[in-house]
Amino acid sequence: MYELLWNALVGLFQLKYLLPLVIGTVTGVVGGALPGVTITMTVIIVLPFTFGLDPLQGLAAMTGVYVGGSAGGLITATLLGIPGTPSSVATTFDGFPMARKGEAGRALWLGVWGSFLGGLIGGVFLIAATGPLAAFALEFGPWEFFSLFVLALSMVAGLVGRSLIKGFLSGAIGLAVTVLGNDPIFGAPRLTLGIGFLEGGVPFLPVLIGVFAFAQIMSDVERLGGAGRAAAALQDTVSLAASHLKVIWEILRRPFLLAWSSFIGVVIGVLPAIGGSAANIMAYDQAKKFSRHPERFGTGTPEGIVASESANNANVGGSLVTIMAFGIPGDAVTAVMLGALTIHGIQSGPLFISQNPGIAYGIFAAYLLAHPIMVIVIALGARWMLRVVTVPKAALFPVVLVLCTIGAYALANAMSAVVILLAFGLLGYAMVKVELPLAPLILGVILGDQIETNLIRALMTDENLWLFITRPISGVLLAMSAGSVVLALWQHRRQQRGGGDEGADF
Amino acid sequence: MIGRDGIAGLAACAASLALFWLTLGLERNPLVPIGPGFYPRIVLGITAVLGLALLASDLLRRGGRAAPQAARLNTRLVALLFGVFALYVIALPLLGFRVATFVFVLGATFLLEPPRRPGLWVRGLLLAALTTVATYYVFEHYLAVLLPRGTWTGF
Repeated sequence: MYELLWNALVGLFQLKYLLPLVIGTVTGVVGGALPGVTITMTVIIVLPFTFGLDPLQGLAAMTGVYVGGSAGGLITATLLGIPGTPSSVATTFDGFPMARKGEAGRALWLGVWGSFLGGLIGGVFLIAATGPLAAFALEFGPWEFFSLFVLALSMVAGLVGRSLIKGFLSGAIGLAVTVLGNDPIFGAPRLTLGIGFLEGGVPFLPVLIGVFAFAQIMSDVERLGGAGRAAAALQDTVSLAASHLKVIWEILRRPFLLAWSSFIGVVIGVLPAIGGSAANIMAYDQAKKFSRHPERFGTGTPEGIVASESANNANVGGSLVTIMAFGIPGDAVTAVMLGALTIHGIQSGPLFISQNPGIAYGIFAAYLLAHPIMVIVIALGARWMLRVVTVPKAALFPVVLVLCTIGAYALANAMSAVVILLAFGLLGYAMVKVELPLAPLILGVILGDQIETNLIRALMTDENLWLFITRPISGVLLAMSAGSVVLALWQHRRQQRGGGDEGADF
Repeated sequence: MIGRDGIAGLAACAASLALFWLTLGLERNPLVPIGPGFYPRIVLGITAVLGLALLASDLLRRGGRAAPQAARLNTRLVALLFGVFALYVIALPLLGFRVATFVFVLGATFLLEPPRRPGLWVRGLLLAALTTVATYYVFEHYLAVLLPRGTWTGF
């Protein structure tokens, strides 16, 4: 394993891999720093540029975006009080007050080094856990895969959004999308509605791009004309200088905080759909609960920044584990990465590592290398990135829409994918308006064919439905699925009493 | 009165029932024990039930209290941008990527921020030209993506 990792690290230093990784990381940091542009949006923008590259080049670029974006949000969060991404919301609680006290450099670098160290802890988990989990998944038959996908979907549907019914309805709509087009096992004609291009089913990438890009852009367009440039005044007056050794020591002398926050990030990353946005808030909350001075939180305490940033970068490692071991995307970014793999004819899942060790270890290496690159990028460009906030949305959105169009079109060099993009853009926006969460829809679209294929395979092997429950792993997974629904019901009741809500990363 | 949730539930229920009805006409292969309509019927049935549940929860909730006031949002601009994008999708195969993209970026930029000063005209034109040239050049020459040619323009 270590030899493969070492070879991958050395291989990644070739310019043809290093360049996409660096460009991806820079793009991720800039996208993360830009309020209103999420990491998902950034990776969607990068996607079409990866089509002409070899798989590892494309995945290195996307990994760079993911790592860079998870850290980029802290720049505007600490210096301007505006979280660049939902995953850096908690960073503003203490980062901005610290910056306002005249310690902008310390606040920024506590976040950057917190991200770096948390990310590396996530990396250790990623490298250590993916192989054994994939080996475990190799024991699965169609019953277990069916139950695993049902578990993923029920967790997502239950954990996101304010209403349990809406979560499940969104997931069901996602599954319903996959029943359009010929059936995936025998190719029997089915529900094409007289539309020729639906015979092959609805490809999930145009759906994902349409749903997320339009939901995000149109929600911003609704508010266009408001504030957005006001905060940039800070940029030329503050000093971003800080003693790096002092800052790193400040983090390392709190090993429990770093380890616990990173652990929370990893665990939340492994759970489908609840990504960095939940991880940073939960880690912040835990840091406050464990602190000897909880009253200092919110006033510019370093613990708050370290907890939030280490959790959101460790979360990336966790998200990558589920896609590499099970083929289930941990969040929207890994869903796009799954799409990129599919475009290159690579099937993610338990066999991914054994069949594509070069790519799998290449992703590990890209993940590890993206962290120092992220530190260098922020060191060189933090002040410049504050100016990114002033980019007018009126200029940004049309360009993003063109890139989304190319992204959809280039999948099969066909206009049908662009039509699907528009249709699902409308659906995505409509869903946002009625507060239907997007995450279950996307997971439903991604897993729909797999759920159907495994269900039919299981039933054709043995008609006995009890096997889904009596086979130990399948039974445990279904029990966990039922448990997640009960937990979600309890959580929703508690939220209704308390009025709280936590958004999903999808 | 029915609210947004109710309308969403009703729409989901109606669409899934319509598709469910279509599955009843699917032909079964006598050699295959499970037909192509088996799984869609399960999924569409569940979707219809969940749609109904959302409708019912909306009606029950609304029985008790009035609907909250929605914040004022620029939905007209959203509708117009969707319209402009739909025109772009129609224009792509007719005018080709280069012409359609230039016109789309220019139109969308001016729609989102009307060019009330000369600087905005220049910015819009530059952005449209740069986006078209840069994306065309990068995707066609470096990334081997053949972008749409126009049947009207041959370009």
